[in-house]
Order: sequence, then C-alpha cells, then structure tokens
Amino acid sequence: MDKVVSIERASKAFGRIKAVDDLTLSLGEGEIVGFLGTNGAGKTTTIKMLLGLERPTSGSVSVFGGDPADPATRARIGYMPEIAYYYPYLNARELLAFYGGICGLDSRTIRERSEELLATVGLADAAKRPLKTYSKGMLQRAGVAQALLADPPLLVLDEPFTGLDPLARIHFRELLRDLKRRGKSVFFSSHELGETELLCDRIAIMKEGRCICQGPVADLAGGGDRNLERLFLEVLEKGGAK
Amino acid sequence: MTVFFRQAKALVRLSFLELWRRNDVFGLLILALALMVPLSMATPFGATGASRYLDEVALLLLWGFSMFVSLGVGSRLFRPEFERRTIYPLLSKPISRGCLVLGKFLGAVCASWSALALFYAVFVGSVLLRGGSLSVELAQGVALHFAFVALAVSVSMLGSLAMTPSANLTVSSIALVGMFFFGRRLPEYAGTLSAPLAWLVRLVYAMGPHAEFFDMRQRLVHGWGAVEGRVLAAVLAYGIAYSAVCLMLSAAVLKRKRV
Repeated sequence: MDKVVSIERASKAFGRIKAVDDLTLSLGEGEIVGFLGTNGAGKTTTIKMLLGLERPTSGSVSVFGGDPADPATRARIGYMPEIAYYYPYLNARELLAFYGGICGLDSRTIRERSEELLATVGLADAAKRPLKTYSKGMLQRAGVAQALLADPPLLVLDEPFTGLDPLARIHFRELLRDLKRRGKSVFFSSHELGETELLCDRIAIMKEGRCICQGPVADLAGGGDRNLERLFLEVLEKGGAK
Repeated sequence: MTVFFRQAKALVRLSFLELWRRNDVFGLLILALALMVPLSMATPFGATGASRYLDEVALLLLWGFSMFVSLGVGSRLFRPEFERRTIYPLLSKPISRGCLVLGKFLGAVCASWSALALFYAVFVGSVLLRGGSLSVELAQGVALHFAFVALAVSVSMLGSLAMTPSANLTVSSIALVGMFFFGRRLPEYAGTLSAPLAWLVRLVYAMGPHAEFFDMRQRLVHGWGAVEGRVLAAVLAYGIAYSAVCLMLSAAVLKRKRV
C-alpha cells in the first residue's frame, strides 16, 4: 500500500508548550484513519501540519511524498474544518464556484461538480439560499462539498460529524465508504467514537501531544465485549504508548 | 498563469458579491443622488457662475464616499476570514499566501472601482445637467482618484492583517483623511516645532500615504487646467509604488502569521 501521508517523529512546540510530541503516523491509499483524543491533545495541530499551515519544529510531515506547504501538494488534499461560517452573503452554488476557482478548476468542471456534490450532500434544494440562513448541519454539508470539489485523493476532515443529524450522519458515513471504495484516503479527527469504530480501518489516540495508541480498529477494539469507547478510556487512564 | 487567473477571478467575484450585497454602496449611491441632483439644479443667488462651488461640494462627497467604500472593503479582507475560520479551507487549497494577497487586493480594488465609477456617473450626470462639459482635467482627476482608491485599499488591507475591521477603518481613515487635508502643510508645520517633534512630523510626512497628491478638486473647480503629463505619471507611479510596498508587507505578514 502506497503511503499517502507520512508523519515521522514530528513535534510541534509553541514556545514552551509542546502541542505535538514525537508523532509517527502514516496513512495508506484507500485507508480511513481516525484520529482521536481529548480536547487539546494535538489533533488540530497535526491536521494543520498536514495542510502546511504549521511546520513541524522537528521531524517531518509529507503528503504524497511532497511538502504540504507546496500548493502543488495541497492540490491533492481536500480539507473540511470543524466549524466554518462560510461567507454569509454567498449561496452554496456560489461558494463552490469560489472554491473551485481557488483550486484552479475551469468553469465547466466547477458547474458539473457543484451540481453533483450539492445533490450528494443534500443541498440541491437549498443551493440558492444565502449561507447565512443555513443551519450548522447544512454548513457542515457545504463544507463536505467544498472539500470534495476538486476530487482530491486525500480527505482531511476535522470533526466531520459535528452538527449532523442522524440521517445526515448515516448518509455521510456511506459517502466516506464510497470514497474509500474509489481508492480515496481519509484522515479525520473526531470525538464520535461510535462513528469512528464503524468507519475506520485504523485509529490513533492522542494524549497531551503524544500518540499513546495506534493500530487497526479490528485488533484494538474488535474482540468480545471490547469496543472503542472502552479502549479509549483504558488507554487514556494508562496514558502510556501502546 | 491560467491557475492564478482563475484564482484571481474567484477572489474578484467574491469581493464584488460582498460589496454589492452589503447594501452600503446602494445607501451611498442614494445619498449621492439625493445631494447631487438638487445641487445640479441650484443657482445660488441667481449667479450661474457659482455652480462651480457646487462641483466642489459634489467632489468632496465623492471623495468621502469612495474613501468609505475602499477602506471598508479593504479592512474586511483578512480579519473576518480568521474570525469566520474560512481562512483554513482557503489556505488548504492550492494557493500561495502571496497569490492570495494579490488576488484579494485585485478583488477589493475592482469592487471599489465599480462603486467609484457609479459615483462618477452620477457626478458627470449632474455636471451635464448644469450645462457643463467634460474636460481633460476631469479625466485626469478621475484617473488619479481611481489610483488613490487602489492605494487606500492596499493600506487598509495591510491593517486588516493586524486589526479588527472597525479599528482598521478608524486608523486607516485617520491616516488617509489626515494626509488628504493636512498632508501638504506638514513640512511647514515641522519647521515650527522643536527637534524631536519636528523629526516625528517629517517621518510621518515621509512614510504616510499622500492622499493629497491625488486630489485635483481645486483644479477642476477653479478651471486651472490640466496638469503636465510627467506630473500625472509621477503621482500614478507614487500610487503604484506605495500600493506595491503595502502588498509586499501584507504578503510578508500573512506568511509569518499563525493561523
């Protein structure tokens, strides 16, 4: 399996605070990896390093073998932030046209992809409504659409289930599975252990900047009465590397 | 180049939609019409020659409106992106921070120019209504005014990386309006001050955005004729150079800024 993301002993410090400490993690083609941890565990900093928004203080982060700070590397990443209050004066179609332009797509591709994605995320009927009238869940769905717009081989999602109603969650889970079937790789951070368990091939659990547990979900949380929630509590209590 | 063109086009469109959907410009346009149309019909004390002073009032309004629009657009370029957290999806796309600064600048300038063009259309309409005619100096004044708008956007864009929109609007307005009205008096004023203060005033004069260079209202109102081509070129070059410095500083600040 080719490495899509390769994080090698990466650390990121802000002054004396180590947000990420000696993290080694990889993501292969067609793989879904869940990134878990309590608030302030270093998940968002890791995601920022993956997007080239932060540079590691030591170690290395590469995406498709390239530096994520390079726009050519970022052209292959689709990112959805946890909560973004997208331009309130635009409607969903205009939002996608804007991001499509920023991705360097031509008008025809933008138009075709936008229609397809708006239908996929269930916003086709609301496509002409200003985003300021959208609910949190609808904004989240608009975020999914903008992340998928350029059909990137890697998706980086920050808390993708936040604000989604149960139906939308099921639909989104199916969408991610479909993307996996098409060979896309997905890396997402989440507090939703149930969703993570249902979706992921592998997980990594962070605590105070360190990765304290990682491996295939089936091996870590798949036996007998074990589930991801129990594993999560256990490793957080122990706090040591697993 | 094609990719940058598409990115710039997207950013220009974004600025246009933001400006024209905020309704500020429509408010100003209605105000401009409400003030200029009656002014164009007025003949104070029956003296038709006095209409040129009405031009002065109309041009001052035009400068005020354009400053409000350009500083408003410029001051909202970056800080709201951080506040709304849209900076993350934006910077995660294949666009460099330098290109983002340039694209945002172009967008804000084009949007502000569109509003200025409308204001001038109203002004020219009021001039023609009074039986006036279009002149070379009016064309020069318009060209300099458009150049000034680009400079004002670049100044407020730099501020938008460090301040909230309202703080930025206040600081940029003080700098530009202050220079517009008092800039030409600063060297003379510095001469009346003791050493440390005089140096400070000279520093402000050297570094400040010289809005007054772009102001041709007096020439237009009093019919002093067109300025020499080389003077016009020098002022335009000053505007381009000052805007370029602000753009480079903005790019440098954004590159170092933690997101």
